[in-house]
Formats: sequence, C-alpha cells, structure tokens
Amino acid sequence: MSAMIRTVDLWKEYDPSERSPSPALRGLNLEVQSGEVVALYGKSGSGKTTLLNLLAGLDHPTRGKIEIGGQDLASLGEEGRTMLRRRRLGFVFQFFNLLPTLTVFENVFLSLELIGRLEPERAIQALEAVGLAGKEGRFPHQLSGGEQQRVAIARAIVKEPALILADEPTGNLDTSTSEEILRLLTRRCREKGTTLLMATHSPLTCRYADRMLRMMDGRIVEGPALEAAP
Amino acid sequence: MKTVTKSFLRYLPRRRALSLLQLLGIACGVAAAVGMAFSARVALSSFTQAVAFLQGQGTHSLERPAGPMEETLLIRLSREEAVSAFAPVIDRRIRLDNGDAFRLLGIDPFLDRTLRPALARHFLRDPSAPRSERNLAFFSDERAILLDSRLAEEIRVKVGDLLPTSRGPLRVVGLFPNPSSEPLILMDIGHAQKLFGLEGRIDRVDLRVTDEAAFRSRWSLGFKIQSVLQRRASLNDMLRAFRLNLQALSLLALFVGLFLVYHTAMFAVVSRRRDAGILRSLGATRREIVFAFLTEISILGAMGGLLGGIGGYFLSRLLVSLMAGTISNLYFFLQPLTPEWSGGIFLQGLGLGILASLLGSLFPLAELTRIDPIQALAGRIPHRSGKAKAQNAARVGFGVLGLSALLVAFSSFHVYVGFVACFALLLGASLFSGGVLWLSAPLMKRFLGALGALPGKVAAGNLRQNLLRVAVAVAAFMVALSLTIGLGSMIDSFRQSIHWWMESQLQGDLYIGKIGETEVPEDFYEEIRSIPGLGGVDTYRSVQILYQGTPIFVSAVDASVLAQFTRFGWLNGGNENWQAVKKGAVIISESFARRFGVKAGDRLILDGVKGPVALEIAAAFYDYTSEHGVVMMDRSTYLRVFEDRTLNVIGVFLRPGDPRAPQLLDEVRRRAVERGLPVFTRAQLYGNILSLFDSTFAVTRSMRLLTVLVAFLGITGALLTLYLERQKEWGIYRALGFSAGQVGRMTLMEGLGMGIVSFLLSLPVGTALAILLIRVINLRSFNWTVFYSFSWEPYLLGGATAILASLGAALYPIWRVHRTYPQMQIREE
Repeated sequence: MSAMIRTVDLWKEYDPSERSPSPALRGLNLEVQSGEVVALYGKSGSGKTTLLNLLAGLDHPTRGKIEIGGQDLASLGEEGRTMLRRRRLGFVFQFFNLLPTLTVFENVFLSLELIGRLEPERAIQALEAVGLAGKEGRFPHQLSGGEQQRVAIARAIVKEPALILADEPTGNLDTSTSEEILRLLTRRCREKGTTLLMATHSPLTCRYADRMLRMMDGRIVEGPALEAAP
Repeated sequence: MKTVTKSFLRYLPRRRALSLLQLLGIACGVAAAVGMAFSARVALSSFTQAVAFLQGQGTHSLERPAGPMEETLLIRLSREEAVSAFAPVIDRRIRLDNGDAFRLLGIDPFLDRTLRPALARHFLRDPSAPRSERNLAFFSDERAILLDSRLAEEIRVKVGDLLPTSRGPLRVVGLFPNPSSEPLILMDIGHAQKLFGLEGRIDRVDLRVTDEAAFRSRWSLGFKIQSVLQRRASLNDMLRAFRLNLQALSLLALFVGLFLVYHTAMFAVVSRRRDAGILRSLGATRREIVFAFLTEISILGAMGGLLGGIGGYFLSRLLVSLMAGTISNLYFFLQPLTPEWSGGIFLQGLGLGILASLLGSLFPLAELTRIDPIQALAGRIPHRSGKAKAQNAARVGFGVLGLSALLVAFSSFHVYVGFVACFALLLGASLFSGGVLWLSAPLMKRFLGALGALPGKVAAGNLRQNLLRVAVAVAAFMVALSLTIGLGSMIDSFRQSIHWWMESQLQGDLYIGKIGETEVPEDFYEEIRSIPGLGGVDTYRSVQILYQGTPIFVSAVDASVLAQFTRFGWLNGGNENWQAVKKGAVIISESFARRFGVKAGDRLILDGVKGPVALEIAAAFYDYTSEHGVVMMDRSTYLRVFEDRTLNVIGVFLRPGDPRAPQLLDEVRRRAVERGLPVFTRAQLYGNILSLFDSTFAVTRSMRLLTVLVAFLGITGALLTLYLERQKEWGIYRALGFSAGQVGRMTLMEGLGMGIVSFLLSLPVGTALAILLIRVINLRSFNWTVFYSFSWEPYLLGGATAILASLGAALYPIWRVHRTYPQMQIREE
C-alpha cells in the first residue's frame, strides 16, 4: 500500500506576528495509506480542521511538507491544488456547505460538471446510494440536517475521489442519524477503496474507523485510544 | 449554463426584493445619466435647429452694431453684385395676454421666398380660405398675422380669431407649419414696422452672399456682418456655460449612479463569498467563479440599464421642458420638441448599465479573486480585516483629497479641471466613510443605546461588525447629502449675491419698460424727465454686440443719475468712477474683465457705426446680468458710437424722504399706462429677477432630488442585505428573548446610525463642495464672483433628508422582520 497522505514537520501559525505565537499545528507528522479509513480524534481547538484545510490545499502551512498521493502540494501551485481538489479530493463539512440556490441534484452534479463528466445518471445513482432517491428536485433548506449531510456525501463520492476529507461529518446530527451517515460514508469508501480521513471529537466516529489518531495541541500524540471529548 | 454560474444567478429570483432594489438602483443611476444627457442634447439641438430654420438658405446677416438700421440701404443692397438674394427682417418679441412672449418676424413675403422657401411655401396657404382672400388679408390688414400651427393649437386660437397682445389685438389670417422648436408669429414687414414704431427702419437683413471678401470690403464699416457659421458659433458660445453645466450634472448623475452600482456589485460579492468558498473547496477555479459573478452582475446591469434607458427617456421629457425654460429665460425663446423615443436610448442605457456595473464591480471582483477559501467559507470578512481596509481606504482618501486640492490650484487652466477637483473631493471623502464609522462606533453605541435601548446598542455593534458593506452605503448617501448641501449652499449664496447686487445697482423707485419686449419712446423719456420734483430719470439700453468675434452686451445708462442714486459694487475704487464715465470712458462687468483679461486703465475697441472706437476702461464692477460680459457707458457715449436712440427701460428715482413721493410715482405710473408701457416697482423688479433666478436652477434642483432617491435606494439595499445576511442572527436574538418589535427597532437604529454618520460626513464635504462650486466652478464657468454666505436651510434639509431617508429605508426590512419573525430559524439556510 502506498501513502495517500504524508505530512512532515507541519506547522501552522495563524498570526506569526504575535509576540507569543500559539501555532495551531506544531511539527505534525502523519502518514495515511491508500484505502485506509482513519479517524482524527481530538478536542475543539486541537488543530483537526486546520490540518484538514491544509491537506485540501485550502490553506497554506507556515512550514513543513504535505504530500497527497505522492504529490507535494507546495510544488503544485494554486492551479494544481485546485485541480487536485477537483479531481482527487472530496470534502464533507460539519455544516454541510451545500449551495443554497442549487437543487439536491444540481449540488451533486456540480462535482461531475467540474471534472467535465456531464453524466446526470451518475449523480442520480449517487443520490440513490445515500438514500435520497426522489428528493433530487428539492433545495437544501427543504431537507433535514441528516439529509443535507447525505447530499454532501453524495457530492463527495459522485466523482469517486481517491481521498475524502470529512470535518466533523456528524457534528451537527443526532446519534442515530450520525450512525447512519458514518455507516454510509465508511461503507462506500471501503467499497471503492477511497481513503477517508475524518476529523471528529466524537468517540462514535472512531468506532467506524480502521485506525484512530489522537490530536492534542497541534500534534498527533500517543495515548489511550478513546476518551470523552467535549 | 454551467452549474457554477447557475448557483449565482439563482440568487436573483431567490432574493427578489433585494434584486429589485439593486435593479432599481442601477436603473435610477442610469436613468439620471441618460435622462440628463439626452435632454441636454434635445434642448440644445432644438436650439440649433431653430437657428438653422430661420437662417434658411441665407449665408450671412447684416445689421448695425447696435439697434435698427434705415431701410433705405435696401436700395444699395439691391445693386450689390456680391449679393444674390436678400430679405429684410423685423425681429422682435411680443407678449400675449397670458403673459407668454413670442418671437414675431416681420418679413417681406416676396423677398423672403428665396431665402426661406420652407417658410414661404406655407405662409400664404390656408386651405380653408380662397387664395386671393388670404393674400389680400395678409397684405391689407395692418393687424394680420400668420400663426405657427403648433402655437395656435397650444393657445387655442384659430384662423379669424383676434389675438390679444401687449401691442393690441392681432388678427390671425392663417396658420403655417413650423418644424423649428421656436414658436413664431409672422407679419408683413410694413405692418410690423408700424406695430413696433420702426417706420423706415429694419432690424436685420438676411443675405445670400456670392463673394464674401468683396461684400465685406464694401459693407464692413458701420455694420455687423455674420456668416451662418459665425452666427451659429456665437449663439453656441452664448450657451457654452449652460452646456457645460448640463454636462457636469450628467457626470454627477453618473457618478452617484456608479456608486450605487458599485454598492450592488459589492453586496453581490459579499453575499456570494461563502458560496465562492464552497465552490473553491470543491475545485472550482477563480476564473470560473469570476465568470459566474460577472455573468450575474452583467445581467443585473443589462436589466437595470434597459430599465434606466426607459426611465431616462421619461425623465428627459421632464428635464427638456425645464432646460427650455432656462434657455428661454436667459438666452433665446425656445419651445423644444418632445424628445422622441429611439432604440439608441435603449442601447445607451444598456451599454451604460453594463459598463457601470462592470466598472463598479472591479474592486469587489478583485476582492473575490483574492479570497481565501477558508475565510470565504466563514462567510464574512473578519472584524480586523474590515478595520484594516477602512484604514487603507482612508489613506487613499487622503491622497485623493490631496489630488483634489492640487487640481483646484490648477483650475485656472480649464473649468473641467475644477469639475474633476469636485469629483475628486467627493470620491476622496467617500473613502473616509469606513474610518469614520469605525471611529464613531463608541459614540454611536452610546447614542443609539440611549435612543433604542438594547436593540440600539446591538445595532451600533452590527454597523461596526459589517463595516465594509455599511461604509459603501454610507459613502453613497454621504455623496448625495453633500450634493444637497453643496448645491443648496451654492444656490443660496448666489441668491444672496444677487440680492446684494440688486440693492447696489437697482435703486430706482419705478422702472418703465421691459428689455427684449418693449421700447420706451424717447419723447416719453423727455416727458417724464420734465415732471418737476423727480430726483432723476435713468435711461437704460441693453444691446448685444460682437467683441473680438464673441457676443457681449453693451449697456447705455445715465451716469449722472446712477452716480447720485446707486452704490455699485466696484472691483476697484468707488462711485468716483462715474466721473470718468461721464467723460466718455466705460466701466466693465467682472465677467467681461475676466473673460477678456482686461482691467481698469486698459482700452477696448468696439465696432461703432462709423468704424472702430477706442474707449478707456474706468473701472470694473460686480455684475450678474450676463456671463458673457457687459460694457457700460453713458448714453451720450453710446449715441456717439452706435447712433442708436432706442431705450429699453427708464428708471425713475425720487429724492430720499421726499414727502410727495406717492403722488409723483402715481403721476409717472399714470403716464406710462396711458402709453401702454409696463411699470414695475423696485420690489416687483426684484421679485421678477429672483423668480428668473430660481427657474434657472430648476434642473439643478431636480438633479439633487434624483441623487437623494438613488442614495435612498442604496441605503434600503444595504439594510435589506444586512437583514438577509443575518437571518440566522435574528433567530438567535429571538432565542435570547428579543421581541419582534425589538428586532425591528434594531433595524431602524441601524438605518438611523447610517443616516447620522452619512449626514455628519456630508457637513464638511458639502460645505467644501459649496466653496469649490462658488470659488472655482462658478468663477470659471461664468466669470463672476459669488460671495459665500452661510445659510442653515441646506444643512437642515440635508439633515431631514438623512433622517427621513434612513428611517424610510428601514421600513421594508422591518416589515420583513415582522412578516418572517415566527419562521426565523437559527439553522443554516
């Protein structure tokens, strides 16, 4: 198995000009293999979201190296990182981040359109896979939170990316819906061999992962497998 | 259509009210610019069309430098080899009983036929009467006139009717179609001479000259010869300042409109920021997002532009009549044609809407391309970034204000430099809006808190939190309020200056006659002068002549009388200047001095009836009668130079404290009425001058109203956007226990806060604008000094507009708050 994600001595400071800087990430080293389902567990403010944003090329590290599928993000440039997100990466957010003016179908089809695959049937299939058949014409505000997250998952999986980054995918949902969503997401990733990295502060999420990494104060630390996170 | 673009465009119908406001904002801005430019074009082309129509196929005109000329010269002209055709003209104004004055042309139908065939073809044709009868009536009836059919329709007169005028009733014997925009009355020249007491004299001869050089060599001495081009150029020169003013007002309208479009574009960017972040996280490129945004803003711009084009057309119909009123009052009687709808206006509006939208979206677009997906996903600009941007904008503002000051220093080169300085002032000041909002936040919190309790405090915090979008709305509103204050202060100062001028120059107790309409017979002047007990009788003659090829006015007065009874505002010296005038020197208006760069002690050369005459300039005086310049001389000098005995007005002065004043004035009035001459008291004359003054600013006033309307839409848009952006927050307030009334009050306080900051900013900016308009624009455009005088009215009007407009702008968002209150949700849209 080759490494899908590799970070070396990764640092992120949001305001380097501060006298006593408190970096969000402090020399983080990480390696996730292709097809792995990994939970990144930690409290709020431990640096999970920062790491995910850096891995997606949405933000720039202060120092250190990030490789996605063997490609150094720094060497890709702005355009290259955009293409990486477009073709190889799927993102699932805590607050769903669906485009409010597009229907459920259009939100999913958008991912396909961006990679130039104008195949509406694939979007329909993705929606069927997440259990939203028949709700294609609805707008996000006409759906429940769980349904919106399903749309976000369909949007991420429809282009069959090599890597899905999920930032607190169940953070905004009740327990039973959370379980449904996690089951759906992890099953789909395992079926397709997609690497999944889920940032979470919920022990529930960790149960669905192959491996759990614990994050604390901007580092990945060794320690007890699970603890109650706030 | 690509889904990315679709996701942006769907906002238009989704946020209907906001889209409508944005659309109206662009439409109003475009309508103001298109309406002003189009009406100016129509009014001015009506003017040149009227001139061209009357000129017909003539190539030149011949007249005395001042006053009418003897008709015997027609015999000499008929023998002139360089002239192939000529037509004598009596060109006067006549006042109808309804108070309107119209141009009456006395023509020789047979001679005129060659030069003005379009007119001659019709003027003897009345299908309702036998041909011989029509001809006969026109030539045989001393009171017979032909009436412009449009005018006849307007004043509801038909063939055979008697038309009551200030010179007695005239009989309408026929109608003629008049394609020109100037209403006309035609009369046989012989009858017109009699009507105006000009027996044996004519005003002008229109000619077709075949050899100009030869003609000029034989006729230039004692005559004013103007080619069609020269005549048109000199008439256009008369309108130069007026045209310039209209252009400036059009630009001003565009400037405010552009602000609003910028506002619209910025709101679009702000409200799409989060979507842009989502799209970027999904792999959309900056280019795709920019394209989607440009498509949206162009569609909005195109729709607003089309709507603005239509609005501009209707606005131009209103403005044309206002402009025509001003042109008629100041220069030339004009009844402009109704502006005709054309596809061009549509295209103009469309082009302007799109162009202004794209121009207005440049900065917001730059922001959108620089956007950090992480920040964008957060949906808002962070607090600190707003402050930093406000600081940066203020720094640029300082630079732009510096540029404005520099431009003022160089404004002597051209008035356009002054206009650019004014725009730079407004632009520079508008860049301070964010900084002022930031700095005034603590005070605002205290003030709004005291006024609106907790909702007031929250409102003050919201304004600071949403600094950038609020700053643009405040800037647009501030510009509109500054215009209200600046233009208002300028008009008030001008009015005060006119007052001062009237009180210094027009000290007569009675004025008999009216310039451009009546003439006072010389024997009547002698008759009045012979009434025992009068302090003095001034003679006044005003005539337009050419000086160095450009039109100016010459005034002939009685220097001894004015020296005794008036206190002119002199640029140099005092009333002793009249001594030199009595001896043959002249005094010049400030506008003349500035226009031609001459001063007291210089000599000027005027073309007199016997050739060029050199006259010494004794002094210069403040004057607002003509921006083209006035040369004033004693009547004796005038008679010597021009041999024109015409009198337009006589002014009767009584000795101060004379107990017989009422009887003397009654006597003078009685004699004037017996002669059918109009009589005005000093108060009436002042009233006439001030109402004329007020009517000339009608266009400016309407423009001021329009800018306030545009800014009002801007503020409403800003409040509505704040409301829409924070629907989630409303839910939170509700959860915290805020009532619908409190949430509504919060919006009201936000509107009020924006209005107050806009108004406070507009106080110094409006005052500075007024000073620029007075000291730079007026001086360069009209060559006269207007004295700044402080007046509360524009500031009170500005304050009332600020408060009412900002409260009014809050009404719709408040209504939305009340309507959607029960459904307000905390969760995401």
